[in-house]
Amino acid sequence: MDVVLIHVLNSLLYASVLFLIAGGLSLIYGVMRIVNLAHGNLYAFGAFVTAWAVGIVAAGASVPVWLALLPAGALAAAILGAILEPTLLRPFYKRAEEYQLLCTFGLLMILEDVLRFIWGPYPLSASALFESFGSLSVGESIYPTYNFLVIGVGAAAAIFLWAFIYRTKFGVVLRATSQNMRMASALGVNVNRVYVEAFTLGCFMAGLGGAIIVPSQSAVLGMGVDALVLAFIVVVIGGLGSLEGALVGALIVGIVREVGITWFAEIELAVLYLIAALVLLVRPAGLFGRP
Amino acid sequence: MAVEVNRRSFLSSLGVSVGAALATAGGAVPVVGVAHAQDKPKGNIPDKPYRIGHMTFFTGPAAVLGEPMFKGQQLAADEINAAGGLLGKRKIELLKADENAGTDANVKELRRLKLSENIDFFCGITSSGNTPALGPVAEELKLLTIFVDGCTDFLFDKAVPNPHYIFRITNQQSADGVTCALGIAQTWPKAKRVAHIHPDYSYGRNAFDHVKIVMKKLMPPSEVVSEGWPKLGTTDFASHITKAIAAKPDLIVSSVWGGDYVAMYKQALRYGMFQKAKFASTIAFGVAPHAIGKDHPEGVLAGVHSNYHFTYPGGDKWPLNKTFVEKYHAKFNEYPNFQAEGGYMATYMLKTAIEKANKIGGGWPDDEAIIALLEGMMMAGPGGYVYIRPDNHQGYKDAVTGFSKNVGDYPFPVLDPDRIITIPIRNITAPPGWPKGDPTSTYTWIDKTWPVVKA
Repeated sequence: MDVVLIHVLNSLLYASVLFLIAGGLSLIYGVMRIVNLAHGNLYAFGAFVTAWAVGIVAAGASVPVWLALLPAGALAAAILGAILEPTLLRPFYKRAEEYQLLCTFGLLMILEDVLRFIWGPYPLSASALFESFGSLSVGESIYPTYNFLVIGVGAAAAIFLWAFIYRTKFGVVLRATSQNMRMASALGVNVNRVYVEAFTLGCFMAGLGGAIIVPSQSAVLGMGVDALVLAFIVVVIGGLGSLEGALVGALIVGIVREVGITWFAEIELAVLYLIAALVLLVRPAGLFGRP
Repeated sequence: MAVEVNRRSFLSSLGVSVGAALATAGGAVPVVGVAHAQDKPKGNIPDKPYRIGHMTFFTGPAAVLGEPMFKGQQLAADEINAAGGLLGKRKIELLKADENAGTDANVKELRRLKLSENIDFFCGITSSGNTPALGPVAEELKLLTIFVDGCTDFLFDKAVPNPHYIFRITNQQSADGVTCALGIAQTWPKAKRVAHIHPDYSYGRNAFDHVKIVMKKLMPPSEVVSEGWPKLGTTDFASHITKAIAAKPDLIVSSVWGGDYVAMYKQALRYGMFQKAKFASTIAFGVAPHAIGKDHPEGVLAGVHSNYHFTYPGGDKWPLNKTFVEKYHAKFNEYPNFQAEGGYMATYMLKTAIEKANKIGGGWPDDEAIIALLEGMMMAGPGGYVYIRPDNHQGYKDAVTGFSKNVGDYPFPVLDPDRIITIPIRNITAPPGWPKGDPTSTYTWIDKTWPVVKA
């Protein structure tokens, strides 16, 4: 029985991080209609910054210091996003979508090399934080205590985002811009500002995903591209542009992956694509997408 | 008629030994390094630089494994150049190419290096996906080549069964699984329930196959109770670890490597995996010895790709290793992995072949003469003797593995110096003339010729 519980916890752990990445991707698309291919490496950037801050800069420090430094990656990714949107993306809004795709794809590759340039080819870890939390007994098994923090942050992020978008004035402006950018602009909304804020928030979420998971895993080159592919599966299932979709999609992927690994080891990856294909056939806009 | 063989006597007939010292070098075997008093080369030697194209991973996750290969060759080239160059005249010029570009791009780059850059010699390659693609091209270009790694058995079993221009230095892949399984049979012969976690690509599949076939022979009651196939490059092993533990194994075998392995063992610690079962790896300490933390569990079978760990042969026992490690560390401020040793070794084997060929024919030898001397060459390097078999151009070196231990001198665990396991390579690889088999010749050779032992 406790093994089943651990499988459930593993699924939630995976879903939490995926939701942060895919949620950011979806938010940016929902508001700006941009498929941000560089998103995966903003997640990686968050992971590298936190691993660097916790694992190297504050290597000898104590747990409270490490916890305080944990959001560093999320903030760094947000700042990077706030710089990238007005400088690199804004000039492409008036052009065809292909240019935006090319631009963000180029950015994905440039960021990969930037990470390597700054931190070198070796994996970076902040595992001291993960280790300091120890493990918790779950029946006869033990489970890493730190993972509960990850699951908690994922859940908190989902609640916070929902409240932010449906219960604040900024959320109203955001939704208005997303539904009709020209009309919102005519009504006096500063669209440029909304765009940079939405993009920054999306990057913050990706960076938070990287920052929160890096102590239990590690920051390696290539992690961003892998995450991007998985985030796409999530948004294909949930519907691009929908936060509810990102949440449900992340949960589905988290559970299916755990089940796949445990009972269908040979088709671990294929099973996710199969689900995405099925959703595309039945509901091309995704479970929660606007057709 | 089946003859009953017991495990202990079969292991000792294979020469599996723990803590054995390396035999000292015989007089006629050439050694790596630049001799102080060099023979004067015969005849006229041009002073044109000798151009070597070196392709390995300089970017991407595999750079941690591949880049030391280039550093090893660079160290050797610098030593040779400082002494005047090859045959005292031709300075070595290294041209870098990034293997991370992908197999198709690598094939194009190899052609470009030969046709536009006019390289004399091609070296490097880390990935087993690349040697079978590049090998036939190097043959077609008539380009003298020593692959350092890319160790798939497939290269000389199937892709280039009769090589002429291409050679390869480090042990082939099947030796990893076999070495690991022999270490297991020697150490934990009673283990029955075995769980596997391997990266889902050729290396992981190969390790799984060879561990399984050897265990079938040497630990017949053992069975595979769980298989996990994480994607190469992942750092999330929570589900795979849970699955392995849930199967209640006596032993967990893995060929996960590099940054993936570091993430895996740290997560496994928190899931209590190492308390639940014994653990054996084909390559844990092989990729970046210094990347493993002090928290790594002790006493697990920590493989080094069956090739080389910089602490063996240790102390003053084998000066070639001591000086190599010192020089490498002084130059790059890190410890060499097996790729670094391979790159270093490849360069000196080339140099030795050129010198011998010059002694015979005078002047700068043509490639045919160099090839003839590389075939069958035995040379002493940092990790011991490397022998290049003339029939398949594959380098063979006695396999080594051992147990993780924190020893005072290093800020990371190394192989327990008292319990190094060595195995003569000829006893764990298919002999010359053995028919090419599937999945590998060594696999069919073990399957057909090794007895099933009695406990």
